Amino acid sequence: MTRHAFIAGYVRTPFTFARKGALAGVRPDDLGAHAVRALLERTGVAGEEIEDVVWGCAFPEGEQGLNIGRVVGLQAGLPETTAGMTVNRWCGSSIQAVQVAAGMLLMNAGDAFVAGGTESMSKVPMMGFNVLPNPSWSDEQVEDFVNVGMTAERVSRQFGITREDQDRFALASQAKARAAQKKGLLAREIAPYPLGDTTVAEDGCVRETTLEKLAELKTVFLKGGTVTAGTSSPMTDGASALLVCGEEFARRHGLDLLARVESFAVSGCAPGIMGMGPVEASRKAMSRAGLTMADIDIVEMNEAFAAQAEACRRQLDIPHEKLNIDGGAIALGHPLGATGGRLVGKAASLLRREKGRRALATQCIGGGMGIAMVLEAA
Amino acid sequence: MNAVARISAAAGVERIGLRRAVVIGAGSMGGGIAAQLANAGIPVDLLDVPGADPARRNDPAQKGVERQLKVGGFMSPAAAGLVRPGNIADDMPRLAEADWIVEVIVEEVGAKRALYRQIDAVRKTGSLVSSNTSTILRRALLEGMPRAFASDFVITHFFNPPRVMQLVEIVSGDENPAAVIGTARDYCETALGKTTVDCRDTPGFIANRIGCYALAVAAIEAIRQGVSVEEADAVMMALGAPRTGVFGVLDLIGLDLIPHVWGSLMSALPDADELQDFDLPGTKLVQDLLAAGRLGRKSGEGFYRLTPQRTKQALDLATQDYRDARPFDLGQLPGGGKDLAALLESDDRLGRYAWTVFANLVGYVARIADDISLDRDDIDRAMILGYGWSQGPVALARRYDGARLSARFAAEGRALPARLLEAAPVRAGGGTTAARLSIASLREKGKAVVENEAASLWDMGEGIACLQLHTKLNSFAPAVFSVLEASLEHVRSSFSGLVLGNDDPRAFSAGADLRAFLGMIERKDWAALDAYIKEGQDLFLRMKYAPFPVVAAAHGLALGGGCEFMLHCDAIVAHAELNAGLPETKVGIIPGWGGGTQLLRRAALNPSVPRGPAANAAAVFDVIWRTSVSTSALDARELGMLLPTDRIVMNRAHLLGAARSFAMELAQNYVVPERASIAVAGRSGYLSLINGVRASRNLGQISEADVAIAEALAGALTGGGTAAAHLDEAQIMTLEREACVGLAKLPATAARIEHMLKTGKPLRN
Repeated sequence: MTRHAFIAGYVRTPFTFARKGALAGVRPDDLGAHAVRALLERTGVAGEEIEDVVWGCAFPEGEQGLNIGRVVGLQAGLPETTAGMTVNRWCGSSIQAVQVAAGMLLMNAGDAFVAGGTESMSKVPMMGFNVLPNPSWSDEQVEDFVNVGMTAERVSRQFGITREDQDRFALASQAKARAAQKKGLLAREIAPYPLGDTTVAEDGCVRETTLEKLAELKTVFLKGGTVTAGTSSPMTDGASALLVCGEEFARRHGLDLLARVESFAVSGCAPGIMGMGPVEASRKAMSRAGLTMADIDIVEMNEAFAAQAEACRRQLDIPHEKLNIDGGAIALGHPLGATGGRLVGKAASLLRREKGRRALATQCIGGGMGIAMVLEAA
Repeated sequence: MNAVARISAAAGVERIGLRRAVVIGAGSMGGGIAAQLANAGIPVDLLDVPGADPARRNDPAQKGVERQLKVGGFMSPAAAGLVRPGNIADDMPRLAEADWIVEVIVEEVGAKRALYRQIDAVRKTGSLVSSNTSTILRRALLEGMPRAFASDFVITHFFNPPRVMQLVEIVSGDENPAAVIGTARDYCETALGKTTVDCRDTPGFIANRIGCYALAVAAIEAIRQGVSVEEADAVMMALGAPRTGVFGVLDLIGLDLIPHVWGSLMSALPDADELQDFDLPGTKLVQDLLAAGRLGRKSGEGFYRLTPQRTKQALDLATQDYRDARPFDLGQLPGGGKDLAALLESDDRLGRYAWTVFANLVGYVARIADDISLDRDDIDRAMILGYGWSQGPVALARRYDGARLSARFAAEGRALPARLLEAAPVRAGGGTTAARLSIASLREKGKAVVENEAASLWDMGEGIACLQLHTKLNSFAPAVFSVLEASLEHVRSSFSGLVLGNDDPRAFSAGADLRAFLGMIERKDWAALDAYIKEGQDLFLRMKYAPFPVVAAAHGLALGGGCEFMLHCDAIVAHAELNAGLPETKVGIIPGWGGGTQLLRRAALNPSVPRGPAANAAAVFDVIWRTSVSTSALDARELGMLLPTDRIVMNRAHLLGAARSFAMELAQNYVVPERASIAVAGRSGYLSLINGVRASRNLGQISEADVAIAEALAGALTGGGTAAAHLDEAQIMTLEREACVGLAKLPATAARIEHMLKTGKPLRN
C-alpha cells in the first residue's frame, strides 16, 4: 500500500512584536514547547507515539541553539525516547520541517511526527549574533544576502510594484487579519500563552490602519525608496506546531485528517531579488502534482514584504480572493522559523473551512530561494 | 530576573548593612527615593495605597516606578527590576524584612501617625524609620508614639529630584541613640550618595526656611522698588542663586504651590518671625496671577512666558502685562556681577534693591542660625546642595567688609549680625564634615611628588599615589605626558599602587587636547600627529603593564582620551554618575589611544556580549560609531566600558578613598597582567560591520565622510583584513593610529574639529 503523509493537527502561539510585544521575554524553546503540548492535547496523541520533533529555526544559536528541536521536545514533556532535530532553511525552515517529516514518513522512517518551528526575534537577532560572511564576498554580495529590505526595494523597481500598490496590499492584509480576529477565526489555531497572572491570547501585531496613514510612513531601507515599516512584516516572536502522520496511524488514534501533502519544491533565484523565490518553487510544486493555479483553491503565501508578495502574486496569477484570506505576515507577523508551519497549518485548516480541494503554501527565503508545498484536502 | 541579577550592591553598601528598604508613598519624591535605592543595588519595596481595580492593587506604586523610568530617576532601566511595587493594605508584612523604612506620604500629621502605628506593628526591631516630611516637626510626628519607635525615627528630608539633588536634611531628637543617627547618615551618604546636613527640629528645617524667606524678600522688594523680573533674577544670581534667580524659580516651582509652601511655613512660625513681614501668598500680584490661572511653567505663563513664536516675554510687575523679555546679564549689574561690594554700595536702583535683599537675608540668617542649625556652615551647605546656590548666605556675608556691614546695619537700625561672621563653634560628634580623602586634603598635608602646569602626582598614604590632571576639564594637554611618564617611575620605586583621579566636580577627563590636534593638522605635520598619538598609546600600555596596580577613580565626564585613560587601568571605581564615551567620530576621527582595542578586550570578558569575534567587534563598533556616552556608571557597564569586577560608589566624596582601598587590595600579591591577545574577525567581520553602515547610507542618514570614518573604524576593529585569528594590543593600536592619522588628512575632519572648537557642537559634513 502506498504511504501518504497527512496533516492531522495545527496549533500556534500568539504572534507578538519582538522586543516590545507580550512574548518578548519568553524563551523560544518554551514558546515551542507550549505549541507542542497544545498540539498533543488537542489531537489526543500521547507523546510516546511521536517518532521525532522536526523543528524549524532560522537562526539556531543562543537561546535557539543546543539543537532546539530536541530541547523543545524535552521541554514539552515528550518522553526521552522521542528524538528531536533542527531544520534550517532560514525563513522556509518550518515548511521544510513538514517536508522532512513527510519524507521520513513516506520512506517508512516512522508513523507520527511533530513538525513546526520557533523564532524569538527578541532573543536572537535576525542574521544571528556573530555575522561572518565569506571574506571573498564583495560588499554588494553581502548586502544582497543580508539586507533583505533592499531586496524588496529592488523587486519593487524591477517588477513595477509602486508604493501605492504596496500600501494597498498591506492595508488588505491588515483588514483581512482584523476581520478574522474579530470573528474568532484566528483564536481557533492559537494556544493562549500563560504569562504570570495574565494570558496572552491574541496576536499582537495586527493593527487598524488606513491608506492615508500607510502613505505617510517613511521608507525604512532606502532614501527615496518605497518600502516602509507598514509594508514589511514586523520582527515577531512565536512558534507553530503540526502533527504529521500516516493514514493507518490516524485511524488507530481516531484523528481528524485535514490534508495530504501532495508535492513539494524548493528553488533558487538571485539573492538580490530573493522575494521572487515563491514563483519558481510554486510552479515546480504545482507541476509535480500535475496542477496549475486554476486547480488551487487556497494560497497561503508569506508576506515578507508587500513588494515581493504582490510581485509573486502577479507572476503566479493568484486571484486576490484565494490569497491569505485571514491576512498574512504583514499583519500577523513573521517569526522566521515558525512562519512556514503557520502557512501549511493554515492552508490545511482553510481547505476544511472553505471546502476547498487543493492548497498551496509558499515562501521566499533570504539568500535567494523559494519553497512551496501543495496540499490536498483529506 | 536577569535585570535583578545584573545590578549588585554599590561599594560600601554591604558594610553599612542596608540589605532591603521599603518606601511608602510612590509620588515623585517616594518614587525617586526608591529609584535611587535601586540604583545602589538595594532591593526596595515601593508601597502606595491600593488601586481601585481589585485585580491591579499595586497600580499606584507601579505608576510611581513608571514615572521614574520616564523622568530618569533610574540610572539603568534594569534598576527598576529591584523595585517591587506593593500596597499598604496587602503588603505591610514586607516591612519585617526591611532595614530602612522611608515614609513619603501626604503631609498630614494624622495620616502619618496612623501609618507609623502600622509600621511599628510589623517592622523588625532596630530598623530605621524616617519621614521625608518638609513641613511637619519631628516631635509633632511622634506624639503618642512609643519611645522605642521614637528612638529609631528621624526625618530624612530629600530634595527633588532625589537622584540629582545632593542634600538630605536630617532631623533627629534626644531619644535617638548616636548609632541610629549614624545609621541614617550612612544610609543617605554611602547608599544614596547624598550629603547630609543636621538640622534642628524647626519649621522648614534649614533650606526651605532660608530659601522661602529669600525668595519672598526678593520678589516682594522687586515689586516695591520697581525692579523688573529680569533685573531681580540677575541680582539674585549675583547673590548666589542659580540662573533662574527669583521669578524664574517661582515659575519653575509653580505659583499654585505658593499658598501651600509659603503659607504652611508662615503658619508654623511664630508671629514675630520676619518671614511674616514678607507675605508672598498674600501679595496682590501673586493672588492676581493665581486667579488668572498663570501658574508658571506648568500653565505656560507666569512671570515669564514663551510666545507661540518661541520668543520669551516677561511680566511687567506693575501693569501685569507681558512684554518682550529684556535679557539682562550679570555683567550689566554694578560691579559686573562679581564685585559684591560694588553692587551693594551702588547708590542706584539695582544697588539699593541688592542691598535690601542682602541685608534682610543676612540679618535673618544671623538671627535664626543657632535655632535651625548646629553649625552655621551647614546653612551654606544646605543652600548650595538643596537650592543650587553657588554660595550660601553665611559665605555671602563674609564676602562683604565686616566693619562696613556693621556700620550700615547700625545706621539702618538693623540688629547686628556680627555673630554670624564668627567661626562656628566646633561641634561634638556627628555631621558630615569629617575629612574625606581628597586632593585638597592631600595638598594641605604637603607638596606634590611630581608636578607641572598640567598634572600632579600626590602621595595618598597607605603606599598609594594619585595622579591628578588639572588642565581645563582635565584634558590631555601634551604636558600631561611628562608627568605621567615620571609618575610611572616614581610609583614603581616608591609606591605600591596608583590611582587616577581628582576633586573636579565635572570631569575625570574630557580627553585629548583638540586644539593641539588641530594645530598639527593645519601644519600638515602628520609625523608629529602620529608621534603624539603613539606617545599616548605607549604610555597607556606602559601604565597598563606596570608592575603595580592602577585604579581609575572615574566620575563625571570621561570622554575620548579620558575614557581611554580609564580603560587602560587594572580596575575602575566609578562614581554612579559617570558620562563615559568615545565620541571621536564627531570630530572626524576614531579613538587613537587604544579605546577600541580595550573595548574589544572587555567585550571578550563581558558575559553580556554574545561571544565571537564579529559579535565583539559589532558591540564595540556600535558604541563608538553611535558616539554613545553613558548616562550613569550602570549604563557604562551596559555599554561594555565597566566590567562586573569594576566598582561603583554612590557618593562622589567617597570616590578617591574607595579607589585607594581597591588599589591597596590589588597591590597585595599583584601580578602584572598577561599581554592581551584579542580575537579579531578579519575581513568577514569587516564586511558584516560595513553592511550595517550601507543600510544607513541607503537611507541617506550618513555622509561620505561618515562612511570613510566607519570604514576606518571597522577596519581597525576587525584587524585590518588580517587572516590571523588573534592580534595583540599593540598591533590593533597600530591599526587605530594609522586609521586616525588617515582620517585626520581628510578636509572634512579639520572642518569638524574647527566647528567643535568654535561652537561646542558636532558638524555633520
